[in-house]
Amino acid sequence: MIEFRNVSKTYTAGKENVEAVHNANFTIEKGEFAFLVGTSGSGKSTLIKMILKEENPTEGNIIINGKDTTYLKQKRVPYLRRSMGVVFQDFRLLPDKTVYENVAFAMYIVNATPKHIRRQVPMVLSLVGLSGKAKMYPNELSGGEQQRVALARALVNNPSMLIADEPTGNLDPETAWDIMTLLNDINMRGTTVVVATHAKDIVDRMKKRVIHIDKGIIDRDDKKGGYNSEI
Amino acid sequence: MKFSYLIGEGFKNVFKNKKSTGASLMIMCATMMIFGLFFLIGQNVNYMLREIESEQGMQVFIKKEATEIEIEKLKQDIQKIEYVSTTKYVSKEEAFNIVKERYSEYGRFLEGYDIDRNPFKASYVVTLTDLSKSEEVRTQIEKLDSVNNIEMRDKTINALVTIANGVRWISFGILVILIFISIFIISNTIKLTVHARRKEISIMKYVGATNSFIRWPFIVEGIIIGVVAAMISILILGVSYNIIIGKIMESSITNMISITLLPFSEIVELVIVVYLGLGIGIGSIGSIISMRKYLEV
Ligand SMILES: Nc1ncnc2c1ncn2[C@@H]1O[C@H](COP(=O)(O)OP(=O)(O)O)[C@@H](O)[C@H]1O
Ligand SMILES: [Mg+2]
Repeated sequence: MIEFRNVSKTYTAGKENVEAVHNANFTIEKGEFAFLVGTSGSGKSTLIKMILKEENPTEGNIIINGKDTTYLKQKRVPYLRRSMGVVFQDFRLLPDKTVYENVAFAMYIVNATPKHIRRQVPMVLSLVGLSGKAKMYPNELSGGEQQRVALARALVNNPSMLIADEPTGNLDPETAWDIMTLLNDINMRGTTVVVATHAKDIVDRMKKRVIHIDKGIIDRDDKKGGYNSEI
Repeated sequence: MKFSYLIGEGFKNVFKNKKSTGASLMIMCATMMIFGLFFLIGQNVNYMLREIESEQGMQVFIKKEATEIEIEKLKQDIQKIEYVSTTKYVSKEEAFNIVKERYSEYGRFLEGYDIDRNPFKASYVVTLTDLSKSEEVRTQIEKLDSVNNIEMRDKTINALVTIANGVRWISFGILVILIFISIFIISNTIKLTVHARRKEISIMKYVGATNSFIRWPFIVEGIIIGVVAAMISILILGVSYNIIIGKIMESSITNMISITLLPFSEIVELVIVVYLGLGIGIGSIGSIISMRKYLEV
């Protein structure tokens, strides 16, 4: 569960102040699938960064799985992040590691046992449809396949939610749709999924909850909406 | 976190920026060697001080041609003098053997000498009940027969204390400078590695790696550089120290001055402990400093 209560975020860049988010209020329930949509620069990534506690809100509170993270100690942040998997537009894979190693890396970091890693990595690779490519390197894969590796890495530690910032931004429409279907499958298995995107077509086709943000202000929140709700 | 993982990642880091690692190794060795020079001089001065303090007084060398009876008479005469505490006879054979044993690792300088062709003179080591009266005692002993020369062991001590203090302060100053320079250099080298691996670090953070998990491989990198620099320095220092000591001993024999220096084997443990301590300390502090910025997010 993710809850925003009167959250505002102002960046200070030199002498200028940019209010990227103004008084945001919403709740994403456990097991829900929600899109954060809006034009470029509207504040989507800022919302995501505050969920990850990469940025702190200037005002308001953010509650994750029942815990207010606003005053969470820096030391506890890693443990908060273990409850969420993250993927980005640029995949962020390690080029000198194989597909298998890129995914296992995430388990290694949280001190998983070698036995657990050997069992879990092939399982999650088959979930994202990459069973045959475990030994390949990222530069030998297509963009869609690379994003699947990133998804496998985000999911391998069984997080309760998956956060994706423009996951299809670098992909052609068909591949983008495949990735979205995969995200939907993951959601069907019980994981909360939050996707920031400005891919209008996909959002319209998915018929999921849409939280629309415009210049930092959330102006629409439709349970089964499209990118532009009135349609 | 497994030990093998740490060591593996640490070495990976070391080889990530070979040039920078090499440069910081060289500079660290150079600064460690300069420190080592003063450290060893200091150790030797301290050693001389201890030696001399334990036998304050004077050493009365006996003429080579003196007979046994004359030598015995000299002892009785010395003991009659006021303020004389003890009189200990050191035969020339003893003198030879003491030097030979202590400096066996520099054996070459005694080549051509043996018990029969002995460069040393027999002597009496005279200690006093009151050191301030040493001049009086000396003038009285000088008047006695069979005395070749007298070497005072109290005058040198004040000069030595001054030298010892000077050396102590200089090496302390050098140590402080060494530590600052080395921390600066190591932290810069590690900054390069951190920069080269920033993508990996950022991924680690998103996946929920703790700061210490991220930090340790870089601390190991710093420690590896520090320890390697320490080992190279110890090696170079040891070899050159032995050569220099050998030369000094050689010339002290030919010039008939008694000089006592520490053989390297007697300080090698201290040198190793000090240098490894420095290497490990500087390495880990340097890497913690270089990581500070990266771990804030
Ligand atoms: N670190 C930052 N410092 C200053 N301004 C920022 C920073 N990050 C984002 N912004 C500004 O905040 C606004 C929202 O940005 P962002 O959340 O990245 O939007 P989106 O992801 O929807 O494109 C933009 O005007 C952007 O320029
Ligand atoms: Mg964005």
